[in-house]
Amino acid sequence: MDTTVYVPIPDEGTAARPTVTPAVRARALTKTYGRGEAQVRALDGVDVDFTAGRFTAIMGPSGSGKSTLMHLLAGLDSATSGQSFIGSTEVTGLNDKALTALRRTRVGFVFQQFNLLPMFTAEQNITLPVELAGGTVDKQWLGTLVDTLGLGKRLTHRPSELSGGQQQRVAIARALIAQPDVVFADEPTGNLDSRSGAEVLSFLRRSVRELGRTIIMVTHDPAAAAYADRVILIADGKIAGDITDPTPESALAGLDALRTVAAR
Amino acid sequence: MIRLTLSQMRRSVGRLAAAGLAIVIGTAFVAITLLAGNVITRTTYDSIAAQFTGADLVVRGVPADDTALDAVRDTDGVATADPQLMSYQQLEAGGRTIFQGVLAEPTDTSVLPLEVADGNLPEASGEIALPVDVAERLDTTTGDTVTLVRNVLEGDQESDEDAWTEVREQLTVSGTLTDPYGAYSMQGGAAVAPAADVTAWDDDLRAPGEEPVEPTTVLVTLDDGTDVETARTAITGALTSAAAGSGTDTSGLKVVTPSEHAETVATEMTGGDNVIFTTFVLVFAAVALLVAALVIANTFQVLVAQRTRTLALLRCVGADKGQLRRSVLFEAAVLGLVSSVVGLAAGVGLGQAALTIGRGMDLGVPLPATVDITPAVILIPLVVGTLVTLVAALSPARAATRVAPLEALRPADAPSGARGAGRVRLVLSTLVAVVGFALLGGGVAVSTVGGEPSLGLMVGVAGGVLSFLGVLVGAVFWLPRVVALAGRLVGMSGPTARLAAANTLRNPRRTAATSTALLIGVTLVGMMSTGAASARVTMDAELDSRYPVDVTVSTDLSSDPVSVAAGDAAVPAVPGTLAGTVRDVAGVATVVESPATAAQVAGDGVDDGLAMTVRAVDPADAGSVLRSTEMVAPLAAGTAVVPEELSEVWNISDGQTLTLTGPDGSLEVTAAVTDLADSGLLVVPDDLASLDADAPVTSLWVGLDDPGDAASVVPTIQDAVADTEAPADVMGAAVERAGFQQVIDTALGIVVGLLAAAVVIALIGVANTLSLSVIERRRESATLRAIGLSKGQLRGMLAVEGLLIALVGAALGVLLGLVYGWAGAAAALGWAGTPVIVVPWRDVLLMLVVAAVAGLVASVAPARTAVKTSPVEALASE
Ligand SMILES: Nc1ncnc2c1ncn2[C@@H]1O[C@H](COP(=O)(O)OP(=O)(O)OP(=O)(O)O)[C@@H](O)[C@H]1O
Ligand SMILES: [Mg+2]
Repeated sequence: MDTTVYVPIPDEGTAARPTVTPAVRARALTKTYGRGEAQVRALDGVDVDFTAGRFTAIMGPSGSGKSTLMHLLAGLDSATSGQSFIGSTEVTGLNDKALTALRRTRVGFVFQQFNLLPMFTAEQNITLPVELAGGTVDKQWLGTLVDTLGLGKRLTHRPSELSGGQQQRVAIARALIAQPDVVFADEPTGNLDSRSGAEVLSFLRRSVRELGRTIIMVTHDPAAAAYADRVILIADGKIAGDITDPTPESALAGLDALRTVAAR
Repeated sequence: MIRLTLSQMRRSVGRLAAAGLAIVIGTAFVAITLLAGNVITRTTYDSIAAQFTGADLVVRGVPADDTALDAVRDTDGVATADPQLMSYQQLEAGGRTIFQGVLAEPTDTSVLPLEVADGNLPEASGEIALPVDVAERLDTTTGDTVTLVRNVLEGDQESDEDAWTEVREQLTVSGTLTDPYGAYSMQGGAAVAPAADVTAWDDDLRAPGEEPVEPTTVLVTLDDGTDVETARTAITGALTSAAAGSGTDTSGLKVVTPSEHAETVATEMTGGDNVIFTTFVLVFAAVALLVAALVIANTFQVLVAQRTRTLALLRCVGADKGQLRRSVLFEAAVLGLVSSVVGLAAGVGLGQAALTIGRGMDLGVPLPATVDITPAVILIPLVVGTLVTLVAALSPARAATRVAPLEALRPADAPSGARGAGRVRLVLSTLVAVVGFALLGGGVAVSTVGGEPSLGLMVGVAGGVLSFLGVLVGAVFWLPRVVALAGRLVGMSGPTARLAAANTLRNPRRTAATSTALLIGVTLVGMMSTGAASARVTMDAELDSRYPVDVTVSTDLSSDPVSVAAGDAAVPAVPGTLAGTVRDVAGVATVVESPATAAQVAGDGVDDGLAMTVRAVDPADAGSVLRSTEMVAPLAAGTAVVPEELSEVWNISDGQTLTLTGPDGSLEVTAAVTDLADSGLLVVPDDLASLDADAPVTSLWVGLDDPGDAASVVPTIQDAVADTEAPADVMGAAVERAGFQQVIDTALGIVVGLLAAAVVIALIGVANTLSLSVIERRRESATLRAIGLSKGQLRGMLAVEGLLIALVGAALGVLLGLVYGWAGAAAALGWAGTPVIVVPWRDVLLMLVVAAVAGLVASVAPARTAVKTSPVEALASE
């Protein structure tokens, strides 16, 4: 209970902690879909910082703009206005070529549907990003990843021969192989049973704690959010709260608070 | 269910459109073929109708005697009656010779469908009016004379050797004619001479006193105001009674109007030609439709796979298998019908356009203004197009019924391809292919070794068809393996290519079908070009062994060496300027002048009184034109080269001493037998001079820059020789090559042109398969983009996929084509010498390049769709 804080983030939040370099930043990030009557403000001037070497979860009601925020931060979609940064690179405003280069080296993704290539083995799937970038696979790093994620015996299997949890672990390895600055995960446990989900989440946490990665994860599940170092709450396209060192209970309480706010 | 099917079709309209295009091309092909057949019939009809436009009635099957003709002429109401008589004659002027049909001038010249361009129609015996183009070719104008060379039979041609006498007569050109209605365009135009002259020429072809037997056609004009029907009855009556009087056969007798006559003749003629033409072309249309069927089948296979979830859902809510099957078949029927209608319209449009262009180009044949749309032209393409589509959809329809309701509950991943085909198919196709290839080999053996070319060819063709069937049906099994192999090679070049290679193997069946469609066309084109190349080289080799020089122009071939040697006759010399003229012909490399005389030849074992042509040539000069200098290697002073063939006939052996005696002296020479093919002995010029100091030049040995240009160079040489009016023969390998090369090239061009439709359809198939795959792999493309695949790499990946599919199909097609082409050439040309196996490298390269380019082009549109996929879609949950 002592860690549960529900505080709107002040506008000049970054200035308060100048010593820590944020891995990902958003400034007045706005995204609207459609025109006129049918216009939807999916994101409404979001300012947020994600600290490097941390595991952050984004939570919020359905349709609140979680996925949209993630897409914009990762440069998968273009912002209507505002800026987003990965490290010191401004992602908004990069062309497709630069974005591709960014995705190759500095960003990793983990998808809800795993999205492994069915015709390749687990190992081929893991090393694909490096090969696409024309680089050579760091064998030692691959070994570390495989050991950490417990994939040693599965490397020659094709996705159809793996369980959902195993597939998602392969996907995490794929996201980490290029040693990116940040890994984005959109509901990575959405298609998994609770045991496999727990497995995947602890692997994500280990990647942060032991391998020093930065992970931003969208989730609906307070139990999943509890694995993170911090939870950012979002409602109606705006940041609505921030919980440090969450527990399932504190995350759930945060969500409930949002709902009551919405209901009012 | 129908509403559901239609709404499903609407959703896949883009995917269906490409498949429909295949059918459109196929049916357009069929429609154009049928239209062309109609145009041929029409043109024939028009030209025949034009021949009779001036006549009021045409009497067919009139007995060829004067009584019958007089009976017609004496009938009431008949103004004129003339037999339609055309005699083919040889006309010469200024060293040029032409065979020309000459028409007997009718009494009423308004019956003639020809118009006078210059001068008059003939008015007196010894005059002739020539078609404008013939007059031009003979370089004559009104008032000039031309020589008529004709043969007169003066005795019994069976018993009397000298029964035929050649007669040369001078005819005055009274005028020139045009043929505005194309009445005689199919006979190469018609000249006109007085009826009496033409009849006399014709009579001279028969033994004296012999009557003509063939019935004739008589053109009748009627007096003004005479009713056609009354005259018809009157003429029939008059002829029947006249025939009854003389006892002649009147069974073929018929009095008809000109249009009735044209119709009868046109049907008689085109019943043969037209049907052969149409059948021949329709075979190629069938190949195109077969390929289209493969493309359609493939498309439906993919559509069913992509709709697996929907189909399963339908099954869950109670649709039975029959309903699903009918839904797919209904969709196919709609697609087939719509495409066929479009194809038919396109075919008619193209046919009309071709006709309009053809009319504008003045082809010498008057073409009809509009295409002739008969019920067959409409029905056949529609029915065939729809049926082919339906049949192609049968197997996908069955696949739709196999979708288990359970599939609705599976996660919505990209559909996995159909499993490999059954074992029965593998065994059966292998068996058929093996038997087929065995028969093919057997056919070749029977033809070449066994010396039974026609039997060998038949067995070979049967074997070829069987083996090709086996190969095609079995393609599902072996083609993916080849693609895998090629993919592994390509995959070494980087991750993009490896992705592409892996993609082509995800649906072995789909890849196989796409490649097979291309393989069919390429195999046939490859077979034709290999066959043509082999035929060309085999014939060339055969000709080369028969003629030592590309072209020889000689004047001594028809003179008799014995009389020349005895001083009774002289060999005419090649005109002095000719060598220079021939040398100046473009494409001629060298001309060697060779003098000759005749000499008595004596030696041990040689027949008494033997005389031979003795030719001289400088060994160095000879080497420059002879195909192989070995033929004249022994040529030196004191040596005579004896052609092998002559040595056998006259018992001359190699190394033997011969004594040659010419008009100016005699000479001892050593015989050197070589495989030179010539009609006389060959010595050095100094030796010839000691036999005959003034031996005239009687031959020119002509070497061409490139024997492959024979078709264009030889006619120019022939013209140059004809201009001199010297009695010279132009012979040689190049001369014969010029003739058949053109035939082979034309035939090859036509066949390849007809096969092009099949290849184009197959390439559409490649594009179709790629775009279907792209649609199916949306999420995957997005994922790849999200993990760092650039747009360029994504395009590259699809390009490699297109290349792999197209190149594997083309390469295998080329390979098969080579085998079939060689086998075909061996079986068909076994008689013409040892078949030479040739790889038409230029054509092979061309086919591979076309396939590669097409594969790349086919990937452009799908790639454009693919790169539009935003990486965000990888994250979307449905
Ligand atoms: N492509 C689009 N076109 C139009 N509107 C969109 C589009 N994508 C998202 N939206 C809208 O933007 C808003 C935010 O959507 P977003 O997908 O970010 O929500 P979310 O928080 O991820 O929801 P969920 O938890 O259900 O995944 C929603 O109202 C949604 O309807
Ligand atoms: Mg979402």
